[in-house]
Amino acid sequence: MKTLQILAVCGFGVGSSLVLKMKIDEMLKEENIKAKVSTADVGSASSTPCDLIFTSKELAGKLSNTVKVPVISVSNFIDKEEIKIAGLHAIKNLL
Amino acid sequence: MLITLKNWIQKENIKLQQQVSNWQEGLQIAGNLLLQNKSINPSYIDDMIQAVKQLGPYIVIAPHIAIGHARPGKNVIKDDISVITLKQPVKFGNQDNDPVNIIFTFCATEDSKHIHQLQQLAYLLEDNILLNTLKTSTNINEIFEVINQ
Repeated sequence: MKTLQILAVCGFGVGSSLVLKMKIDEMLKEENIKAKVSTADVGSASSTPCDLIFTSKELAGKLSNTVKVPVISVSNFIDKEEIKIAGLHAIKNLL
Repeated sequence: MLITLKNWIQKENIKLQQQVSNWQEGLQIAGNLLLQNKSINPSYIDDMIQAVKQLGPYIVIAPHIAIGHARPGKNVIKDDISVITLKQPVKFGNQDNDPVNIIFTFCATEDSKHIHQLQQLAYLLEDNILLNTLKTSTNINEIFEVINQ
């Protein structure tokens, strides 16, 4: 089975998205799900191959028009529980 | 695994209970600490403010906490991170996480080198007791100790 590719996206792909990636990684580990989580900036996200995108509410609106994969929006990037509630179902659907 | 960085926020990069009238001023004060450290060129601060104007207030990544930054690149001299707390919180326009009373700013020379600093930051943000101390303290030495413990 191929590894699930998840993209955490923020404005520049170096700050908030990195924090978000850490929390997604922790959540996946707790759920025993293997996936590769990368970060990207909002401009290059649409040309980065992935199966699922996590981002903020503000950027989700911009992204959902330009990408074909599901876009999960999270308002608190350090709240693992919110990340889980928002994204786990979609992740499991892709497995 | 958590790699503990000693003094990942330097004492001179902390300012507590600052008075600002808007979010731009908050980013300016926090960014000035990076500037004083010669970690950025002055225009990096404008870049951070412009980023919020262009991309929205997503830098308020958790309730009451903003992490300002701009793109790694020519305006960054070295990796650095600063934090200020506000006497009166300000709104960034983020419906879920406003108002903000803790503002971090950071600058990175390249995409991945600062990852350990942000890791420390992510752990700090999970610690509600520490965050509460940070919000209310007026003692830089105390904050320096608890952040870097």
